[in-house]
Amino acid sequence: MIRYIFRRLGHAIPVMLILIVFSFVIMHLAPGGPFTRERALPPQVLANINAKYGLDQPLWKQTLDYLWGIVVHFDFGPSFVYTDQSVNSIIAQGFPITLTYGTISGVVAIAVGVTLGAVAAIRHNSWLDSLAVGVSVTAQVLPNFVMAPILVVIFTLWLHWLPGGGFEGLLSPAYWIMPVIALSTSYMASIARMMRSSMLEVMNQNHIRTARAKGLAMRRIVMKHALKPALLPVISYLGPAFVGMITGSVVIDMYFSTGGIGKFFVDSALNRDYAVMMGITVLLGGLTIVFNLLVDILYAWIDPKIRY
Amino acid sequence: MKPNPLLALAVALSFIVPNASAATVAPGDTLAENQDIDLWLLDDIKTLDPQKSASVGDSDAIRQLFEGLYSQAANGDLVPGVATGHEVSADGLIWTFHLRPEATWSNGDPVTAQDFVYAWRRLVDPETASEKASALTDLKVKNAKAVIDGKLPPAELGVRAIDAHTLEVTLDQPIPHGYMIASVTNTNTFPAPRAVIETYGDAWTQPGHLIGNGAYSLVEHRIGQKIVLKRNPRYRDDAHTIVKSVTFHVINEENQALTRFRAGELDVSPIPSGQYPRLKEKYPDQVYKKPRACTYAYVFNLSLKGPEALKDVRVRKGLSLAIDRSIITDNILKGGQIPAYSWTPPSMAGFKAPDIDYSHWSQAERVAKAENLLKQAGYGPDHPLKLTISYNTSEAHKKIAVAIQQFWKAIGVETRLENMEWKVFTDRLHKHEYEVGRYAICAGVDNAIDMLSFFKSTDSLNPTGFASADYDRLMNDVLTATDPNIDYDQAEHTLADKMPIAPIYFYTSNGMVKPDIRGFPVQNVLNFFYVRNMYRVVK
Repeated sequence: MIRYIFRRLGHAIPVMLILIVFSFVIMHLAPGGPFTRERALPPQVLANINAKYGLDQPLWKQTLDYLWGIVVHFDFGPSFVYTDQSVNSIIAQGFPITLTYGTISGVVAIAVGVTLGAVAAIRHNSWLDSLAVGVSVTAQVLPNFVMAPILVVIFTLWLHWLPGGGFEGLLSPAYWIMPVIALSTSYMASIARMMRSSMLEVMNQNHIRTARAKGLAMRRIVMKHALKPALLPVISYLGPAFVGMITGSVVIDMYFSTGGIGKFFVDSALNRDYAVMMGITVLLGGLTIVFNLLVDILYAWIDPKIRY
Repeated sequence: MKPNPLLALAVALSFIVPNASAATVAPGDTLAENQDIDLWLLDDIKTLDPQKSASVGDSDAIRQLFEGLYSQAANGDLVPGVATGHEVSADGLIWTFHLRPEATWSNGDPVTAQDFVYAWRRLVDPETASEKASALTDLKVKNAKAVIDGKLPPAELGVRAIDAHTLEVTLDQPIPHGYMIASVTNTNTFPAPRAVIETYGDAWTQPGHLIGNGAYSLVEHRIGQKIVLKRNPRYRDDAHTIVKSVTFHVINEENQALTRFRAGELDVSPIPSGQYPRLKEKYPDQVYKKPRACTYAYVFNLSLKGPEALKDVRVRKGLSLAIDRSIITDNILKGGQIPAYSWTPPSMAGFKAPDIDYSHWSQAERVAKAENLLKQAGYGPDHPLKLTISYNTSEAHKKIAVAIQQFWKAIGVETRLENMEWKVFTDRLHKHEYEVGRYAICAGVDNAIDMLSFFKSTDSLNPTGFASADYDRLMNDVLTATDPNIDYDQAEHTLADKMPIAPIYFYTSNGMVKPDIRGFPVQNVLNFFYVRNMYRVVK
């Protein structure tokens, strides 16, 4: 198992290198640059800026310099747009915020989704099932950019219960309740639907029928024999879903002014802020690799048939 | 150059701007206990460095943290800042500013002429790589161009400290008085604290490092969330400053900002597109509207890469005439925008709006004339004109483009709409890879020169490819003209005559402000505001 983990991490290195070079080149091939303005800059002014940021160098040299900076100094360079900030400092400020509300959202989505799906499957075709399906379908079709403004109208404008934006850390839930609801709902719905169908399948399998025939209590059957195998498809979905949640969402960051990294990711692409774009891409790529590995380890733990 | 008699008359005349204190509490107003205010920012600030700042949000914050030679009162009038007055030499080339001795930085050091010299050199220094370096070439400051081009060291810039409180600026050629004065209220010309910048480098603008000479100091900047400022007790006019702290909240979503304003979390709010009439009716005491010095236009590609048809002035005129501006302002935008038939916003300081003939015609007359012009140019039902309109992806631009497509269809022009992401669009525009494009410019200095110099061929910054020696000459003459409005008028008529662009509308700024806030909105058309002019009254 340990050898397997090391082998996987070894594979991650070339994957990351390809990701960096590929994104870097693609990014620079996009028309326009960080300093393309509606009112064009005088040529010499633009030349001075390009010289300062090394954008006057040939692309291969920029790519190599960039890689060197990351590998040797773990320095992603300065932001071309937020000129007071380095990429490292933007990520250092924004990532803890998305990590906080993203992790809470993940926990909420899993807890509610798995419970809802399991209950619906166990009480198949009952009113509980219809309710659970109804809730998850509704949640699925409510995109977060619709939910976010509705939540703020209800909880900030009408009830005056929660602040309409900002972020003050884990210990100030008033600021993260609405972001968590808006972010976790659709994930929760997907998990619930997935859990329900996989649970239904498991409940019809031979070993469950055997357990029932033996006269085992329903509760014991579900907890001990059905839940673990039913979770397998959900877990494979969780890897990328979790990365999606902890790297934030541009919608959540925009509507709730959280200062999270999702907004910077999208903005950096639109602004051609190459350095920020690359920094967040690398972060995202690294997290995806780690979480996929975690999923595989979980698999082995849950499913005795899987051995690495 | 012929000496200018009027300019000579102004020689050695000292210009002293009227002294007005910061926030003057109006009679009948009782100050509220709570003097903390919450403002709205569409996008986070990019930098708090005065010389590097280039966006609206940056200069909104910098104006509170620093103070330039001159400043503005709530009504937009020019008031002394660090300078109390200035003189201009007989030839108009030497400007001497007198700085007040009591001005200090927030760490207690005096603000001196050397701080301005350092800042202005820094602005043009290629090392700084400021986007706004050309602000000093626009002002014709001696050697500014050579320093930017790397041909002379920054120390050769035509600016020096005669003593600690006397700043001397040398120009290559005279420029209008109003242009210089309006320019020194721009953040790029504000002083810079040399010691702090040399100690911390690019990180000097972080909370804890930054020192300023403005009415407020920086407490906190949480990127993507908010910027918090508190009163600077060392500000030279702190005695007249009332508001204790200011928080700029970054909210990218205008509807969200409006909801939070209504919930009482913000003191000002934007008005999302199209909602002005509804909000005006519902909250008449909170909604405001005022002119803003920006122009929205459609540009025609006259360059070699542009379509043949657009090289014919009759076609360009026809296309412009066919646009029914009032439908765009009254039925699409609905925010009090003003139909435009010329380029420079009429609200700009000292500018006399030109009288453009077709602005008086009825739309039916314009359309008839447009059809006629296109026919003369050889276009008609059997040989229709086909064009592509490009714009950057946005709901408002799309609505306008669709309307214009219809207006042009009515005169037999077939158009295709093409929308692109912002950077792609801007890049194509400047590379002349388009046919007809949407365009908008806001004045950076409250002076018509700022708008009109845009069409000079030497700057080659305008995306139309329009070049005219007559126009260039006009723009050069205006710098020393006794009545610049004569030249402005001619320049505007040249543009109307050659029609490299079809002006569509002049902007308004509208928004909402809580009824207990005084000193906002400001009257100046560039939207420069100073929190020290504001206060909150008892409700």
